[in-house]
Amino acid sequence: MVRGGPANRAVKRAKVFALAKSFGAKGRSKNVYSLAVRMVQKSLQRQYVARKTTKRDMRSLWITRINIAAREHHVPYSVFMNQLTKNNIQLNRKMLSELAIHEPRTFKAFADFAREQHKQGLRAALK
Amino acid sequence: MLVGNRFRQSLVTHTRLWYLINAKDQINGRLAAYIATVLQGKTKPIWHPKADVGDFVVVVNTKDIAFSGRKWDRKVYRHHTGYPGGLKETNAIALHQKDPTRVLWRAINGMLPKNNSRKIYMSRLFLFEGEDHPYAENIYAQLEAPASMPKKLDEYTKEEFENYPKLF
Repeated sequence: MVRGGPANRAVKRAKVFALAKSFGAKGRSKNVYSLAVRMVQKSLQRQYVARKTTKRDMRSLWITRINIAAREHHVPYSVFMNQLTKNNIQLNRKMLSELAIHEPRTFKAFADFAREQHKQGLRAALK
Repeated sequence: MLVGNRFRQSLVTHTRLWYLINAKDQINGRLAAYIATVLQGKTKPIWHPKADVGDFVVVVNTKDIAFSGRKWDRKVYRHHTGYPGGLKETNAIALHQKDPTRVLWRAINGMLPKNNSRKIYMSRLFLFEGEDHPYAENIYAQLEAPASMPKKLDEYTKEEFENYPKLF
């Protein structure tokens, strides 16, 4: 029976060790192949998951930041975003959080607008 | 957008600031919840879970802090000395008479996350029983305490008192 081994064992091992090094391997997992290959496989799996969770984590961070900045002007996040969408202001959460940090006056204008719109809506509902 | 370093443009946003809070007639727990958010930097839009952006807080007049209900007598503060039978108990009023800053300190300490950054946050908190404190030149602004206290009867002027709408 012919067993198809790798074309070049040294190249295969070098690739794994290079990856292990890039993932910050410590101890024997940077020298011992059997440990390095396990570490590399696990790290690649975690990388695959992290590429997806990063997007969710960043979105939740933007939402937290918008909430903090909006509450500074006495509007909670839910009201703020609801009024912006209702009035067709199509800024996404990433840009709104950037505005909150670097252009606070622009953000204040949005917050004041959202608060006034919300008040008018409440008044209309009472009538 | 202006040309230049964005960090430099919004320097005050990124600087660690000193705030003053007057604790007079404030409810202990509500004030502590507010101070805990400021210490963690959760009032700033640059907040990030891994970055420490917390501010300094100086609290004055802690001797005039308030509890609702009968908590001064009923609320119990416990600690264990480590020896057998070493559970010590005091009520709030006894602890307050011993050290007028301790009741608020314990409330804030309990409201911060229980990890290594709690010590760092608490090191930025300065409590004073009276009006005087040595950090006057560091203070950036005075924060409004969460509860706006209603005016007391002797704080009204005579005109305001007479013009106040009366039912009978």
